[in-house]
Amino acid sequence: MSDISLSPAAAPRAWPRLGRMYRALRPYLYLFPALACFIIWIYEPLGRAFLLSFQQWNLLPTSPKIWVGLDNYRNIFDLPKFWQALGNTGWYLVGLLPLTVALPLAIAIFTQDLPARSRNLYRALIFVPMIVPPVVGAAVWRWLLDMNHGIINLGLQSLGMEPVGFLSDPDLALWTITFITGWKLIGFAMLILSAANAAIDGSLIEAARLDGASRWQVVRDIRLPLLSPTILLLVLMVVLLGAQWSFAYIHVLTEGGPLGSTSNIYYLLWQFGFGSLSVGWSSASAVILFVGFGLMAMALFALKARFTFHDD
Amino acid sequence: MTTETTNTPLHHSRRFGPGGWETGLGHALMILASLICVFPIYWMIVTSLRPENAIFSTRLWPDAASLDNYAYALKAVPITQMLVNTFIVSIAVTVIQIFTGILAAYGFSRWKFRGSAILFAAVALTWLVPLQVVMIPNYLLVARMGMIDTLGALILPHFASAFAIMLLAQSMRSFPTEVIEAAHMDGANHAHILWHVIVPNLRGTIASLAILIFITTWNEYFWPLLLTRSPENSVIQIGLQMFITSEGTQWGPLMAASTMASLPILLVYLVLQRQVIASFMKSGLR
Repeated sequence: MSDISLSPAAAPRAWPRLGRMYRALRPYLYLFPALACFIIWIYEPLGRAFLLSFQQWNLLPTSPKIWVGLDNYRNIFDLPKFWQALGNTGWYLVGLLPLTVALPLAIAIFTQDLPARSRNLYRALIFVPMIVPPVVGAAVWRWLLDMNHGIINLGLQSLGMEPVGFLSDPDLALWTITFITGWKLIGFAMLILSAANAAIDGSLIEAARLDGASRWQVVRDIRLPLLSPTILLLVLMVVLLGAQWSFAYIHVLTEGGPLGSTSNIYYLLWQFGFGSLSVGWSSASAVILFVGFGLMAMALFALKARFTFHDD
Repeated sequence: MTTETTNTPLHHSRRFGPGGWETGLGHALMILASLICVFPIYWMIVTSLRPENAIFSTRLWPDAASLDNYAYALKAVPITQMLVNTFIVSIAVTVIQIFTGILAAYGFSRWKFRGSAILFAAVALTWLVPLQVVMIPNYLLVARMGMIDTLGALILPHFASAFAIMLLAQSMRSFPTEVIEAAHMDGANHAHILWHVIVPNLRGTIASLAILIFITTWNEYFWPLLLTRSPENSVIQIGLQMFITSEGTQWGPLMAASTMASLPILLVYLVLQRQVIASFMKSGLR
């Protein structure tokens, strides 16, 4: 650039060069706003969380950050609460997968022959929980499940049963929250699965029928393999996002209790960070979470790639 | 959705068709599922309309509708202000995400350039980073900017959406290149082609994206929870929580506030039901 500005004779030549430069930079200019947002709010903070996970700090600007190396990780791994939350995260997934994958799959296959009009009505109704704000969902279920006045417990009592502490019984609370999370997603999962199911080429099934395949054989040998990419996509979504979706319900309904029985790893992060103000612990568990889920995502993506050749 | 009617072979409908026991069972299953999905919302609205002395009534119908709970809720918590705030944040995030999404999608779909694959992967991989993982650094950043307890801080981290970029890039890639070439021949520059040729043709995609972003932002809870100090500067999801206290819950006002918090979304859904469902399905069918 400097040699150009020295001699005025070279100035006209500078313009095509600037034009070329502009043309080379142009794609990046279009990407700039979005990428800047991701760098500022996602990737840079990810690195920062990694650094904070080796430090001890209480979130107050006036107090010093102390470098403690791997102490945070060691302390977390020694903490029964951490293993409980990790185990609960697993139980949430174990509970969510049948609710948001297996059950919707069965319903989608089973109801494929219903007339389009009534199916559209069901579809519209079943989808309602998906768009309702999670906090509203939590508030409504809290009311329905209330120990003394909730309509579900009143119904159980009128059948001569004892009222059930759906949210206060440590053995039940986690499943209650799993159910509410699943309630929110079941319609969505069903729609995706029935759309994929409807997209299966009818002539394949016709051909199998002519060859004498039973209804169950058609489902097992044609529908399930052809649906497997969609099923895997749903599994991927539930595994990666399921525990995250339950945050609002945990926070509004149980705050992780009773006795930590509903806390999962996301909720623990929140408690470490903004409950007990231990930035290091929160960041260390964030790093563990990120690495763990990254590995799981990679495994599931690899599995999905293996199944996707069915897709044509 | 178009395949629904074509997918029922003839002899098949003879065996399992309308009137068959399987169809009956199918209907029964769907009615049960619909009830489970809709009844809680129905019960919320019914409870919100009951007068205080009938709040624990189990009748499926409100005997005497009363708006007392709404009046009480509006007085106890600045709900109107919070609804306006939520509306501002949701509209701003929708407009901004679509704008940055259109720009980035054009960049990715129009040119081959150095690093495009890596940058696209960087966009796609953002959803592997949960908000909880970066919440402390993000909170600190907002604090450094002096924006704790402001609406601006609720909007800032949502300037771009990976999903919007990927969906728009996908539809721009399938946009006929002849049309773009022809516009080029006529001397149109890139900005003109993008905003006057491509964008008007992607109205459908952009509209369904807008619905999805609006609803998602309206329902967001975690980030406002971190930043809220005063109810006047927060969104409606935070306001709902104020009716749940450890001493006991005021069910009537809570249900009234919940109804108000979901009303805008439910109205959108009532009017644009098909589009809403379609846009959510797009988010799952990638």
